[in-house]
Amino acid sequence: MEQKDYYAKFEELQQSSQDLTRKLIEMKDIISHILEENAEFKIENDHLRQRLAEIDNDKTTPQLPEARRTLEKLYEEGFHVCTVMYGAHRENKEECAFCLDVIYGERGV
Amino acid sequence: MKFTINRNQFIKKISNVQRAISTKTTIPILTGIKLELSQEGLTITGSDVDISIQTFISVSDADNELHIENTGAIVLPARFFNEIIKKLPGEQFTLNVVENNQTIIKSGKTEFTINGLDANSYPRLPEVESNEKLSISAEMLRQLVDETVFSASKQENRPILTGLHLKISAEKLLGVATDSHRLAQRIVKVNNQSDNDYDIVVPARSLKELEHCLIEDNSEIKISISENQILFEFQNTLFYSRLLEGNYPGTDRLIPTSSDTQLTFDAKSLLQSVERASLLSHASRNNVVRLAIDVNASKVTLYGNSPEVGTVEENLTTEALSGADLEISFNPDYLKEALQAFGDTKIEVEFTSALHPFTLKPSDNKENFIQLITPVRTF
Ligand SMILES: [Zn+2]
Repeated sequence: MEQKDYYAKFEELQQSSQDLTRKLIEMKDIISHILEENAEFKIENDHLRQRLAEIDNDKTTPQLPEARRTLEKLYEEGFHVCTVMYGAHRENKEECAFCLDVIYGERGV
Repeated sequence: MKFTINRNQFIKKISNVQRAISTKTTIPILTGIKLELSQEGLTITGSDVDISIQTFISVSDADNELHIENTGAIVLPARFFNEIIKKLPGEQFTLNVVENNQTIIKSGKTEFTINGLDANSYPRLPEVESNEKLSISAEMLRQLVDETVFSASKQENRPILTGLHLKISAEKLLGVATDSHRLAQRIVKVNNQSDNDYDIVVPARSLKELEHCLIEDNSEIKISISENQILFEFQNTLFYSRLLEGNYPGTDRLIPTSSDTQLTFDAKSLLQSVERASLLSHASRNNVVRLAIDVNASKVTLYGNSPEVGTVEENLTTEALSGADLEISFNPDYLKEALQAFGDTKIEVEFTSALHPFTLKPSDNKENFIQLITPVRTF
């Protein structure tokens, strides 16, 4: 190949790698959006199941109040339940002081 | 515009301004440094939109050897200008703006001709009404920044957490930073002659740059705050930073008011133990160490392990221990950074349970400095 062909080829590769990067960023945004949405659905689903359990007169005696237990479960699955980052994915499952306060804090939820 | 000036003095005065100038800016003129010459002296400005720094070299200070031939203004490419001035041969240099913003820099037998930009196209600095009523000593400000900003978030997904939350009420300045995994809160004294209280969030990056500008400063620093800017004034220098928008989350309730287990350590020796334990935890996928407290046996043990490499176990020396037994796991890096901020002092570590954040305070300043670390839940 001529030198300038190499250059053209290089430009072409650069262009396609830039396109790919852009697409990856777009996909990452979409996925994190879907994850957040999913977390919200899970909360809603749990609320509905709770309601159902109540109607079914399910007599379990939890240590935490129902609402907090739901939040704890969600937190353990890897989502923020705090107002600061509600529904967002906990990166590397790192602990969040705001979430812990919502779940175990002394004041009401 | 034409002047002559002492070269070393000039280099010293512009080093702070250089901190604000970024090569990565999307606004081309901001890669430049602005020089503005009046009869009183030379005003030098650098900015990256978030931070703007302006310094003044006075004609009345004889050390500057500033001789003004005629006034004017120019913007020069900062990186080249800086390198050129540093490498000039003479003790002084002369800068002369000729036509079309061309600038001639002469020193000894060397003459550079540089293409400048029209100073009129340089953006205006933010307008912050100067406040004569609020000030803090440089040393206090350095401490506040040093002891808190490392806890601010480095991730942009929640921008507000990348800042330091500052609350000023009467003569008390409270600074708090958290990335939600750990938190640092420091209270220092400010001189506040006004009746105003303030509640603002300043980007951690701005404060780190400010701290560099203040390294050898022992003066009193004037602070002025507008709706979206904060201005620090010291030694002929103006340092502007934008403020972060939005409300900082409430952090008071994150700090426990009571505890079930209390330990007292020498911060430096605890730091060394944590560093040893983290040698192995760093080699494992989840970077966690475990602390086991047996109060009756007066035994506190720190464990680290890596499935591939091996394990480490160390009996920690405590100055005091009381309360209930406990086992708790946490990320050793957060403890390391917290201990580094304390320096060489005695600290009190207080736990509530394996699920609750624990606190660290220096024994001699418990009210004014507190750090908090969230444990890692292990199943
Ligand atoms: Zn959270």
